[in-house]
Formats: sequence, C-alpha cells, structure tokens
Amino acid sequence: MTTVRQNARQSLVALASLAFSVTVACTGAAKSGTADSASDSVPRATSTAAVGTASVSGARIAVAHAGPAGEWQMPAGDYASSRYSELSSITPQNVGNLRVAWAFSTGVLRGHEGQPLVIGNTMYVVTPYPNVSYAIDLATSGQPLKWKFRPDNAQQAIGRACCDVVNRGAAYADGKIFYNLLDGHTIAVDAATGNQVWRTRMGDLSRGETITMAPIVVKGKVIVGSSGGEMGVRGWIAALDAATGKEVWRAYNIGPDQDVKVGPKYKPFYTHDRGTNLGVTSWPGDTWKTGGGAVWGWISYDPALNLIYHGTSNPGPWNENQRAGDNKWTAAILARDADTGELVWAFQVTPHDMWDYDAVNENILVDLAIKGQTRKALVHFDRNGFAYTIDRATGEVILAEPFVPMNWSTGIDLSTGRPNVVESKKTAQDKNVKDICPSLEGGKNQQPAAFSPQTGLFYVPTNNLFMDFQALRVTYIAGTPFIGGNAPEKGGPGGYRGEFIAWDATTGKKIWGIKEPYPVWGGALATAGGVVFYGTLDGWFKAADARSGKVLWQFKVGSGVVGNPVTYTGPDGKQYVAIYAGIGGDMGLLIAGDVAANLPYDVRERGTTLPDISRWTSWGGYLFVFSL
Amino acid sequence: MRLMPIVAIAISLSCRAVATGSSDSTSAASSTNSRDDKTGLLVAGDSLRFVQHDENLPAGFPLGVKPIVVTNPYEGDKKAIASGGQLFIAYNCLDCHGAEGSGAMGPSFQDGRWHFGGSPGAVFESIYQGRPDGMPAWGGRISNDQIWMLTAYVRSLASKDLSTENFTGKTVERTGH
Repeated sequence: MTTVRQNARQSLVALASLAFSVTVACTGAAKSGTADSASDSVPRATSTAAVGTASVSGARIAVAHAGPAGEWQMPAGDYASSRYSELSSITPQNVGNLRVAWAFSTGVLRGHEGQPLVIGNTMYVVTPYPNVSYAIDLATSGQPLKWKFRPDNAQQAIGRACCDVVNRGAAYADGKIFYNLLDGHTIAVDAATGNQVWRTRMGDLSRGETITMAPIVVKGKVIVGSSGGEMGVRGWIAALDAATGKEVWRAYNIGPDQDVKVGPKYKPFYTHDRGTNLGVTSWPGDTWKTGGGAVWGWISYDPALNLIYHGTSNPGPWNENQRAGDNKWTAAILARDADTGELVWAFQVTPHDMWDYDAVNENILVDLAIKGQTRKALVHFDRNGFAYTIDRATGEVILAEPFVPMNWSTGIDLSTGRPNVVESKKTAQDKNVKDICPSLEGGKNQQPAAFSPQTGLFYVPTNNLFMDFQALRVTYIAGTPFIGGNAPEKGGPGGYRGEFIAWDATTGKKIWGIKEPYPVWGGALATAGGVVFYGTLDGWFKAADARSGKVLWQFKVGSGVVGNPVTYTGPDGKQYVAIYAGIGGDMGLLIAGDVAANLPYDVRERGTTLPDISRWTSWGGYLFVFSL
Repeated sequence: MRLMPIVAIAISLSCRAVATGSSDSTSAASSTNSRDDKTGLLVAGDSLRFVQHDENLPAGFPLGVKPIVVTNPYEGDKKAIASGGQLFIAYNCLDCHGAEGSGAMGPSFQDGRWHFGGSPGAVFESIYQGRPDGMPAWGGRISNDQIWMLTAYVRSLASKDLSTENFTGKTVERTGH
C-alpha cells in the first residue's frame, strides 16, 4: 500500500474545535518568485497569533525526569527531550508581571546556544569557546560565584568549527558536571569544587573534528558525539564511563557494520534499510571515509526500551555528484542500545541529501493517542521541513507533514518513509538551482522544540528561508572545509523569516503561529503554568499562552537569543526563568554580516539574508533571570 | 569566482627567494583615496590596501639595524593574482574566508584590516606557518610560489570601506514589539 501525502493542501483549514492560523504553504516555484521580493526590507514585527484554544492527548514517557521538578539537571530537562517543567507559579494571568531578577555576563561574546543547569541552589553555566564554566550561588544575594573553571582548550579549534564556536550545554550526574570542549575533549568537573575530575580526548582536531553538542548521562555513561559535517569527518557517537572518563563504546554512523555496530539487534522497519555494510555500499569507492554524518545535535533516551536516539548530520561534501547513493547513515535518525551502542533501528530522513538537510534535530519521546491507539512516539522536526511522528520502538513513520513552507518535496511515501523529490529542486554540480525551501538552515535547526502534556502540543521555533544552491567540485584536504557548494539565502514567502508554532503531532497540523521577522534560532520551554517561552534573534524574550499563542509578555534582552529557556525553583521558593542572550551560531556567524564574526575587529558587509539584524542587536554574552 | 572549476594543482616545491635585502618595496602608498564613480566605494590601492600594522612587527633589534624586508615576486602581477584566486578555491580557502574574501568561519579580507600584519611578508607568514585561531600551516604542503600567488590575491581583495554602518534612512522602519 502506498500512501503519498501531498503538501499541496492549502491549510486554511478550520477544524471543529481548533482555530488555525494561516499556513503559507509554499507549493512550488511558481509562488516562490513572488515571495518577499524586496530582499533588503525587513518585515514589520507583527507578532500575530490565532486566537482560540487547543489541546490534544499526549503524555510524557515514564521516568522522564531527572531530579526534582524545581531543578534542571540535563540539557532538555528530561530524557524525553520535552523541555517541559511542572512548575506552575507563572501563569497567563500573572506573566505580565515578570521582571528581571538578576543578570550575569559570561565574559564571552560568541553565540550562546544551549542552556544553564540548576542543581540544588547552584546554577551551572558553560560558555562558548573557550568553554569556561561557572557555578553560581543562587542562595546568596548578588549571586556570587562558587567557582569558575577554565579548561585547557586548543585555540586551533576556532578555525575548525564551521558554524561559530558554540557549546550547547552540560549534563549533571553523581556530583559531576559533564561537558564537551570545542577542541574535541569531554570533561568532568566536580560540581562542588570546580576541579577537573577527568578529561578524555574524543575528537581529532587535525581532521576537523570538534564537539559542540550537549552530552546526556545514561546509567553511568556519558554519551557524546562529534561535529564536523562540513569538514569531511566520519561522524561517531560514543559512551564514556562517568566515573573514570574511559571510553566504553564508540559507534560510527558510516562505514562497515562492525564500526556502525550493526549486528543481531538491528531490525530496521523498511526493507530497503536491510542488508550488509550499507554504510559502505551506499557510497562510491572510499567516499564514506570523509562522508560526514556527525552527531552535533541532541540525544534522547527511553529507559523502558533502553534505547538512545540521535540524529546524524549532512553527508559530505554538499556536492551530491561526488557521492552517488543513499549515503547511509547520514541525515538519519538512529536508535541504539544505550549499554552497547548497537544499532537497533535506523531511518534515513533524507536519503542522498543534496540540500544540507542534517537530521540532528532533537527527537522528543512521547506517548500519543493516534487513531484510537496509544503509540510510543518519537516526534522530530527535521531541517527538511517535515515533522515526523515515528514509532520509537520500530522506526516506522506514522505520519510526516510539512511544518514550514516547502517546495523540494511533494510528500513522504509512508510505505517507504522516503520523500518524493521535486525534480526541478534537485541540486547538481555546476548547476544553480533557484528558490529552494526550506533553505539549508532548515525548517528548523538546532533550536529545540518543547512538548506540553497539558495541551498535548509541541512548541516549535522555525525558520522561513529560501536558498539558491550551486554545487561545486571540491577536494578533500584534512582540516579544511569539505563543502563544495554555495547557497545564498533570502526570506521565504509571507514576509517573515521565522515563526514560533504550536503543532499537533497526532494529526500533523499546525495549531497556531507567531510570525517573527527573523528565524527563531532559540529553543522553546513549556510549563505547567500554561505559559511557553522563547527568544528571538533580534533580542526579545517572549512568553505566550500555550493554548492560544497570544504573546503575553516580552522583554528586550542585551543581545539576540539563540539559547534555550529553562525554569527552576529558587532558594526562596519562587519560580525563575533563565535564558542566555548572545547572538551567534550558524545564523549569526555566517549570514549576519559582522554581527557575530569570530574576531571583534573583523568588519563585514551587512548580510542580505538577515537585513537589518545589526540594527537590532549586536554581540553579547549574558544570562538573564526573571521572576514575578 | 565561485563557479570557477577547480584547477588541478601539482604541488611543486620550487622556491623563490623569500627575503631580499632590497629597500622597502611594499610600503604604503600615499594616503589619498578616491571614490569609484559607480559604486561610491573607496578605491583601495593606497592606504586601504596597504595597511601595514607595523605594531605587529617583532621587536628585538638594536637601534640602527635595518630589518630584512620581504618582497613578493608577484606583487601587482595580474596573472599571478588570477592564479592566486584559483588556488584560493582549490585549497578550500574560500569556504573559510568567504567568496572573494568576504568572511565566513575565518576573517574577511575585504575590510583592509590585517590581524597579523598586512605586508606581503606578514601575509606570506600567515599562510606558511598558520595562525592560532585555526588557520592551517601550508608551508611545506604547497609551494612557496603558490603561497606568493595567494598572498598577491588576498591582498588585492581589500577594497571596501566598511567602517561605518549608518542605519538612518537605509532600513525599513518598523513598529510593534
């Protein structure tokens, strides 16, 4: 049975109890030409939201939380990557009274992706390169430091990081703070003293391997993965003993079955994903050795299935002509045994990716009622513009619908899980393919979504960008970019460049959206108070009603927001909300002119993708904390 | 530039003299800038292109000792500059420094500002031995000849006065928030 979902529908669909805002469905090149023709103009900041209320049924998975509700012990708050807090003091009724409680300068000006941790009465902050960490005493007025740790971190790493020198945060377990250094080390720091407990070299900087992702700790093992999809790395994920830092296992995402850890446990859902050494045979010659497939995004864990879930990056180089085949397992979601790293299932989101659609975005684990059945679901908002609801036990795609304007595919064939690709949007060497959406920044990028079991909805920060794509032949030179492509971007249809949306993953429909003038590059936070939080690239931190999408409060922080909000209970029993402000990341470094160049004295022309951004914000490195 | 096919380059180890005792042939020209009629941009070629940043020169010589001045055999050579542009793509310089040196992972070359000195000798040194922020050391991997061509090319890119960003009247006013 072949069920082909078409995205040609115009989704001005009003369902019985739900009010929908207008989705500007970009259904082909014909429309794209008219979209935002004045590329140097910035849309008015009309944050429009549909009015109405909505909720669907959904539940966080069991044992999803680590630690008390008032703490934030791991990057996404829980293993399910839900970024949901049970704290409920801040409500739609009182959020208008939110005020800055205190602020902290991190001393670093690069892109502040990621989020702080809160354990007991201490907050832990990790900065972008040089990856300094701070322990902040929340119980003393003035929030003095308990300690500051300055790791040994090779400066050469700056020039090996494709997309700013970001760090997406730390994880806590057993009295230790675990995080990665840009130069390829994983470290453990004593949470009480700030002393380094162990330090393990995991990545090879000379081959372009850096580490920017946030680890998670599962059953005494620290799970980490490599960056470098633009540097011709061969991506891997590894587990270290949390007590000693000794490597326990390492699995590559490309290469022979032994390296990929394909064995008896491997049971992919789709027949075309069965076979031997697919990580070699889906590549020409030795190209798999420099094929990318890095693990720079988020990792989830289901304790009941004992599986970890992670995405893999784009294949390298971008030029598809240099790597005929499916290029497994790049741009894929992999489920691995948490104890051994053995592959249990794999699903290639974008086979033979030719648009730089990494699949590293977070995988949110929820139990959803779909067509009368409770499904163990994994919900994933991919760079390629489709939101996937997947059976996390088997890897079966239950549904996949576009969550942003898109024109490269007409839909996902649910009998194979593969996209139906629009011929005119296929990129090719020495060809300039115009007006592809989403752009290579994706319908969503690293900015993680949140899920609220109260509403059953996912809160998703999205991008709305177009690109032209020229693929070019490139030579592999270790330690230099292995890209082979040029892809200038511009605003997508509808006169906005980003939107914060609420999504129903049981039906694959958008419930409401708040349009933003710039891509929403910061993550989301959902709370039991019925308020959701997010920050914008032009420096607004916002609170919205989880049900209606109405913006209830906003505050202009000191720099553009690319980080993720967290909430915690302070020593005084009050609910606090914390967010980093510090523009950067791919969005800041590469397309915002010199707003986020690597060197403060580097002077660049204003980028055309984000016109005006330098008028609204500039470099920063702050932590802002709010309370009622 | 981005559409140029990659040229196959054999790594030759032929060396040209990198240091001479001759008088300074690379010093800044006059500080008179002119504006291009079409673009309105400052035309480099004088002070912009030849920012020296003498403060980056190493100290240590006693007074009266004339420093060795390094000259680029290809300085101003249009053919060599074009070859340098091809090498800039072939050795993946472009993906770090941006198309025509507009800046990406690595710094821009268009702004006429040189973090490690802008003289031919200083630029050669940056390429030859690398720089601490991640610039690879190319010395011994490609020929000195090619490094000189790259030097001539990147020095030719400094062409824009980007010092001031004045938003008044140039951007769309907006309301809201």
